[in-house]
Amino acid sequence: MSKKIALIVICTILAAALCSCYDAKEIDDIAHVLAIGVDKGVSDKWRLTLQFANMKGSSSGEQMGTSSGGDGGSQDGYTYVTVDAPSFFTGLDILNTSVPRRLVFTHAGFIVVSEEFARDGLLGEYIAPIRRFSEIRGSVHVVVTKGSALDFIKANKPVIGTTLSKAINTSAREPENTGFFPHVTLDDFYEALLSTYRQPILAMGAVNRFENFDEKGPKWNNEYNPGGQYFAGQTPRYGENNIEYWGTALFDKDKMVGELNGSETRALMMIRGEFVRGFFTIQDPKEPELIIALDIRQDKRPRVKISFDGDIPVVDLTLCLKGDMLSVQSRLHYEEDPLLSLLEEKFKEDVKEHVNQLINKCKSLGIDVFKFGNVVTRQFLTIDALEEYNWNEHFKDVRFTTNVEFLIKRTGTQRKSYPIANPEE
Amino acid sequence: MIREGKFGVQEAMWLTAATISSKVFYTSPGLITGIVGNSGWYMTLISMSIALLSFTFICLLLKRFPGKDIVAIFNDTMGGVVGFAFSGILGLYLLFLATSRVSEFTNVMKIYAFPLTPSVIIIGILTAGVIILCILGLEALARFTKLAVYALLVGYVLVLILGVQNYDINNLFPIFGYGADKVILNGILRSSAYGEIIILAVFAKSLQGIHHIKKAGYISLIVSGIIISLSLLAFSLTFPYYSTLEITAPMYHMATLIDYGRFVQRVETVFLFIWFISSFISVTAVFYCITSIYCKLFRIQDAKPIIAGSAVIFFSIAVIQVNIGVAAEQTIQITRQYGWIPPFALPLISLLTAMLRKKGVVSHE
Repeated sequence: MSKKIALIVICTILAAALCSCYDAKEIDDIAHVLAIGVDKGVSDKWRLTLQFANMKGSSSGEQMGTSSGGDGGSQDGYTYVTVDAPSFFTGLDILNTSVPRRLVFTHAGFIVVSEEFARDGLLGEYIAPIRRFSEIRGSVHVVVTKGSALDFIKANKPVIGTTLSKAINTSAREPENTGFFPHVTLDDFYEALLSTYRQPILAMGAVNRFENFDEKGPKWNNEYNPGGQYFAGQTPRYGENNIEYWGTALFDKDKMVGELNGSETRALMMIRGEFVRGFFTIQDPKEPELIIALDIRQDKRPRVKISFDGDIPVVDLTLCLKGDMLSVQSRLHYEEDPLLSLLEEKFKEDVKEHVNQLINKCKSLGIDVFKFGNVVTRQFLTIDALEEYNWNEHFKDVRFTTNVEFLIKRTGTQRKSYPIANPEE
Repeated sequence: MIREGKFGVQEAMWLTAATISSKVFYTSPGLITGIVGNSGWYMTLISMSIALLSFTFICLLLKRFPGKDIVAIFNDTMGGVVGFAFSGILGLYLLFLATSRVSEFTNVMKIYAFPLTPSVIIIGILTAGVIILCILGLEALARFTKLAVYALLVGYVLVLILGVQNYDINNLFPIFGYGADKVILNGILRSSAYGEIIILAVFAKSLQGIHHIKKAGYISLIVSGIIISLSLLAFSLTFPYYSTLEITAPMYHMATLIDYGRFVQRVETVFLFIWFISSFISVTAVFYCITSIYCKLFRIQDAKPIIAGSAVIFFSIAVIQVNIGVAAEQTIQITRQYGWIPPFALPLISLLTAMLRKKGVVSHE
């Protein structure tokens, strides 16, 4: 008898528990926010912009008018709403009154903030605290944009396919293929913000107006250009996709104090051990007007040794890279020595130069964005001693040596290249 | 008649280990980081060593009184009144343990998974489950634990392994955290983290003699020590010390960070199962102990009516604790520093008294 009662009670409890009535969210009752934009407001402190799917299909191109309580806009298959509000959460509630679905953030792909917002040091005050909100995952990406976050979100559309969330996720993983911008999540940023021995960075983004793309004009001569010297929004390109992620925003605590271009960002990624892969273009050591393209990957994580000369920290950095040949315009035999060694040395020198320039740049700003501070922790026995030393304060005095280990592993699909026959000969 | 049934060493070991180690899923890791920094992972091994030593005294006490549980032993050694008081203190301590665990579970559940569900519903459903398992008896609980523990271990190890991508060895430094002295002192004081080992003494009659109790006790303490230490190590490797102390439930947070591309991410749902089942086992074991102590104290033969009554008290206290909120949480954390007294100090006093009064069987092995 008691077993039967127990069984009935178990079934009742399971029925009550499994339907989870209080926290149930029907799929057609909610709208998944994919991107969150934050600007300084005009009518109030914040300008909050949220982008989500309008569930009208991807190709209809129908307009959505959600302007009550804020500005509303339309995109193909997606829409955005924006509002000025005193806080993130009040803004959210205001928007919820004008959007006929409950806005949820569990699938938010990125938070974009304007450069003005970041340079005014408002990230610590406004963005970091929303980490407490359990709907926003710590793995959401954070981007600083040139211009306004609203403009960035307006331009954020899927160019390939119809799924914006897929586009956002794929873009966020692009640093693994290029190294031109870092992969920084809300948790990464927040941890660096709290840290006493490193400083935060964020990826830079921008709406590219294609102003650097000159359709007509004098043609390029043979001057060498590595391709990574641009800042966000300045790449000379043209096409349907306006937004681009490029470079790094440097922070001193919550205040943006500098920006890195694509090449500097690659060097930064290499030092942090976060560089995965990228195509590099270097000058041909024998024929400087031509170039050699290499497919570079990180071989091992960088070795960082830190010692102290009195009170001065001394950093010994060794980068370990490997690569494959992609193209040799001169068709010289770089596949074997002595040209192979020459090519490797040339690449090492290039990387070393970039790395040294970058470390000096950050030293002048007084910010350790390289995570050297993480290694410094090994030099101290207690947290009190570490915090008393104050690595962030001492970073500007750091002396460093850089070594680059680099080997070309493969020559691509060609073992050798021979000169193209001149028909006149 | 109280029918607690009989079970083997393995069941007893896993029941105790699950009861002890479930606390690692809540707020304790953050609090420990606040006290000792990133050294919690080896501080807990000091606590475990102290608990092992204290359990030796419990074993010595049980050995002097073969076939008796701790309530009967307190009665024999300390006399009726003091023995009653000792058992009562132990019962209240366990009630405090169970209700504070439920309130912590409810709070963390509301923060991460069910923000809109009223606390009463969460506590109520958990209490209903506890009542059913208690009615089915201790033997059923022990066997259910042994069955569930394999799935729990697989899930737990999976979370630790998948978390490797976020581990940074540098986070373990400075190695002494906020100082070696604090690590050692708190390691000793926090031996209460393993205080649930006392349930073996309460259920002594269900195990086959002191040899089995000893074996189950030592192994469960070591297994719990390893589980707690590994968890704290994983948190320390994932989050720098200044970050861990801010996070409500580091283990859950750690699971949310696992991301191996599109197909392996958001694995915290796996963790929710581990979390719920281990909490359920832990709360049920402690609650059963409270009922058992109460019945033995008042010589009540049928435990079933008492289970329902105790559940009402248990439910009410848990709801009050949740409603008090942050203040109750802080009190719980402070009192945990003194939590070693009921499970370890009381049996030690009882043992010393028995030796002085020459009570019980003196073994000449």
